[in-house]
Parts: sequence; C-alpha cells; structure tokens
Amino acid sequence: MHKPPIIDVQSIDKFFYTPERLQALNRVSCTVDHGEVVVIIGPSGSGKSTFLRCLNRLEYADSGHIIIDGVDILDPKCDINAIRAEVGMVFQSFNLFPHKTVLDNLTMAQMTVRGRSKKEAEAKGMALLEKVGIAEKFAAKPDQLSGGQQQRVAIARSLAMDPKIMLFDEPTSALDPEMVGEVLDVMKNLAREGMTMVVVTHEMGFAREVADRVLFMDKGEILEQGAPEHFFTAPTLERTKEFLGQIL
Amino acid sequence: MATYTGLDRPKSKFYYQFWGFAFVLGLCGVMALLYYSTKQVEYTWRWNRVPQYFIYDDKVNIRAEMEGTIISIEEAGEDVLVTVRGDDGEESHTLPQSSLLLSQGDYVYAGDSIGFYTQTKPGILIEGLLLTLEVSALAIIFGILLGLFTGLARISDNPALRWGAIVYIELIRGSPLLVQIFLWYFVVGTVINSMLSQYGIGQISPLWFGVMALAIFTGAYTAEIVRAGIQSVHRGQMEAARSLGMTYPQAMRRVILPQALRRILPPLAGQFISLVKDSSLLGVISIRELTKASREVVSSSLQPFEIWIVCAILYLFLTFTLSMFVQYLERKAI
Repeated sequence: MHKPPIIDVQSIDKFFYTPERLQALNRVSCTVDHGEVVVIIGPSGSGKSTFLRCLNRLEYADSGHIIIDGVDILDPKCDINAIRAEVGMVFQSFNLFPHKTVLDNLTMAQMTVRGRSKKEAEAKGMALLEKVGIAEKFAAKPDQLSGGQQQRVAIARSLAMDPKIMLFDEPTSALDPEMVGEVLDVMKNLAREGMTMVVVTHEMGFAREVADRVLFMDKGEILEQGAPEHFFTAPTLERTKEFLGQIL
Repeated sequence: MATYTGLDRPKSKFYYQFWGFAFVLGLCGVMALLYYSTKQVEYTWRWNRVPQYFIYDDKVNIRAEMEGTIISIEEAGEDVLVTVRGDDGEESHTLPQSSLLLSQGDYVYAGDSIGFYTQTKPGILIEGLLLTLEVSALAIIFGILLGLFTGLARISDNPALRWGAIVYIELIRGSPLLVQIFLWYFVVGTVINSMLSQYGIGQISPLWFGVMALAIFTGAYTAEIVRAGIQSVHRGQMEAARSLGMTYPQAMRRVILPQALRRILPPLAGQFISLVKDSSLLGVISIRELTKASREVVSSSLQPFEIWIVCAILYLFLTFTLSMFVQYLERKAI
C-alpha cells in the first residue's frame, strides 16, 4: 500500500506587490514522498525560495492547496503552529537567537511548543549538539561561533522539535567555502537516516550525491524534474541545459 | 601619546595639551565671570543657610494635658520622669533632663510647656527630592508598561489597536505637557473627584493626577521607541521563531522583545531622564516636588542664587544616577 505524499502542493500562485505586481509562483504543483530528498535549483529570482517558504506558510500562497501530512495549510482554520512544529526550517542567514546560549537556542521551542521539561529538553539538545559535532560549545553565544558551526546549531535547533520534514533555504550560501563541507555532511547524514528534506541550494555536488529528485525552477514555474543522474547528464529542456552549462 | 585615529594627519602632542589647557581655562573663565557678576549686583552668598533645608533639628514641646501639681521628678539616666497630679488622676511625661523648665511643686495648667525634646527631620528640599523621586519612579513604571503595550499595538494587524495607538501617540505628542497636566488635574481630576464625593468615597490626591499625566506623556514617546526597537530586530528572528511553531506572543516575548529592549535602553534612558526633569512642572498642581519646594525656600529665605544652584545639582544627581544605572544594565545585558 503506497502512503500518500507527505507534501502535496496543488497549483499554487504567489504574487508580490513591490509595488508593481510580480508573479513569484505560477501554478506550481509537486509532491514529496516520505523520506524523499528533493533539491530545488534555479537561477536567482526563479521563485525557489518563495516556494520553500510557502511550504511552512512563511509566505501565504495566494491560491491553490498545500497539503502537509494531510492538512491543508492554506485553510485559514488550520493550526499553523502545530504544522510548523512538524516542519523544520533552516535559513541562509542561520537566524539563531543571539541573546541565548547555543543550548538555550535548542531548548526554547521544545519547552514552549512541545511542552517538554527543561531537563528533557536539555538532554535532547545535548544529544543533537553531539550529533552535529559541537557539543563542547553548548554554553557559547551564537556570535562566538563560526558560520558553519552556527548553521549546524540551527539544524540541531530544528531537529530538536522532532520534525517530519526539513526545509533548507540555501543553507550554505552565507558560509565561507571551507565551512560548506561540515554543514553538507550533517545534511547528508540526515538524508541517510530517512528524513524528508526539501533543499534549495546551489551545491550541485550535494544534489547529485544525495537528492532523490531534482527540480529546476525558472520564472516561478517548475520547468523540469527528475532523478539527479538523469537530470544532470541528459536534461530535456534548452533552458535547463543553459542553466547547468552556466554553473557546472 | 597621540596615537593616530582620525582620517586627517596625526596631531602633535602639543595639540592635546594646548586644547586641554584651553578647556580648563575656559571653565575657570566662566566661573570667574559668574563670581565677578554676582559681586557687581552685591549679592551676599550665604551657603551656611542652605543645610537647614536638607536636615534640621525640630524642637517639640512637651505640654501638660491636665491641670495639676508636679508631684515628683525622677531621674532616669539622661531623661527625667515628670508626674503631674490633678483632680481626676495622674499623668507622666518623659523628657530630656536638660530641657526641663519646671520644678517639683509647680502648678501647671493644661497646655503648659513642661520641657521639650529635639527631633532631626528631613528639610523641605529633601522632602521635595523624595517626592520628585517617587513621582518619577511611579511614572516610569507606568510609562514603560503603557509604552510597551502601545508599541505592540502600534505594529499590530488589528486596526482598532493600531489606530488607537496612533491616535494616542499623536494626541499626546502634539500638545504641551503643561497643558496636559492642567487637563488631567483641573478637568479629569475635577470630574473624577466630584463623582467620588457624590458616592461618598475619598478624593484622589493631586499626586496621582500628576503621575498619570507624566506616565501617559512618557508612554507615547516610549511606544515609538519600543516600536522602532522591535522593527530593528531582523525579521529572520521572527521567522525562525515562528518556523519552530512558536505563537506570535511566544516569539515576541522570548525572541524579539529581549533583543529589542537591549537596543532601546539608551533612548529609553534619555526619555526617562526627560521625565525626571519634566516632573518639575507638577508644582503647578500643588505637588510639592523639588522645584516647588525650592521656590518656597527661595521666597522665605531670599537666597535665590544658592537655592536654585542646589536645586539644579539635585536634579543632576537624580538624572546622573539614572543614567549610570541604565549604563550598568546595558553592560550587563551584553
């Protein structure tokens, strides 16, 4: 018996008024299965970040449906906070809470949202810091860490909520080149453990190695998708070939 | 000496010595001018009369409460116990031996002074200072609460809250504080107090109308500071908190406000220093704070120079302490 997809996006549109009307997403549909790793690539301004942000309603899609784990998050009556607790998000600029220590960054939402005790949350937090390899920095403030370390803390912070889905919005774009590897390693481990992941990135190596499926977006539309081996070697569309030719 | 910090060519070390000397010289010059000009108007400085307005010894008379004869005077260390017997009983008073005015067998009438003791009391300036402190502290506390709430309302999606906040802020910032104090005391105060007296409830003292006027005035400015502080926190912070499933109030309280409050401490300090100084206007509704107290002292002592200088220094003391306290908070917060 095939399980229904955990993410089911049905024909969403998104407009920005800046102030001229700009269509950021144009009838985008796609599904993501349990445990699948989907990588979204595309030129800047193609709507890939907007699409990702629609998936936990940081941007409210103007029309269509987004079914996350059986709940339509575009339904105003849905409990969006409960959904967001199940959908972790990692940002390009980390967005750690600078006034809290690393460990407090990990425990805050666990206690306020999941209602865990401080002891329980700290145990979970330390285990995750161990997992991303910076347990010794638990008492540091975020600005005392390098970019790579901050991003690993941010991943651990999301994982502390035991999410079913992880969204990554260009997680390595703000990092110095030598720190990209440590963050990608954490993400690869996560993928290997069967986490459902949607990743917007420019790291083609990561896409090739880890992705189950690659989506190519341009001008607010998903132009082409496929398994990485097929996608990178024999893309069908001219636009995709052109884009890959520019970045590879 | 003279490490090069500016964008211009490095200064010689004589540059700092020369201008440092010029500064001190200027300061001395101003002082000398002041001294010289007071000499010209033949003002007599009497600084020795100032301390009594800070602290003084009050003479309290001890008076007989009944008519009778002093039947005994017993010594008890420094004090004496004086017993008076009258037609309907006895009464005794304890007083310092040195102040005793009568002797055994003397006949006293009710109200006659038997002796006195001295009591050290805070002077009128200290009382004024304490009142200024009290009014300012209350107004700061209410002002913070009001400003925080209004600041949050100002950025709320709810039109009623947002427009309410805008109207409040614009109204308060658009009229002079002195007028607002008059409005609170003579309009709102009159209405409330006459209503209270209709129901036979006690009156509200001018102090509370003064605190209200100051708090509401400060609240409007604080609200704008709070709003700017919240908006200065990167929107990624709110997004990160919300993406973890925190509600808006949770994210505000635990993530945004702690960061915003740290940033707005310096402008808040400026606002509260203003408030301490603005409390000097409350004298007009018969609150005897520091300025009104000083005015009373001036009119009785006829020493305006000393008293107004002392008054200014006392305000400086308050504001400087406040400013130091906020700087301490700032350092602690980092």
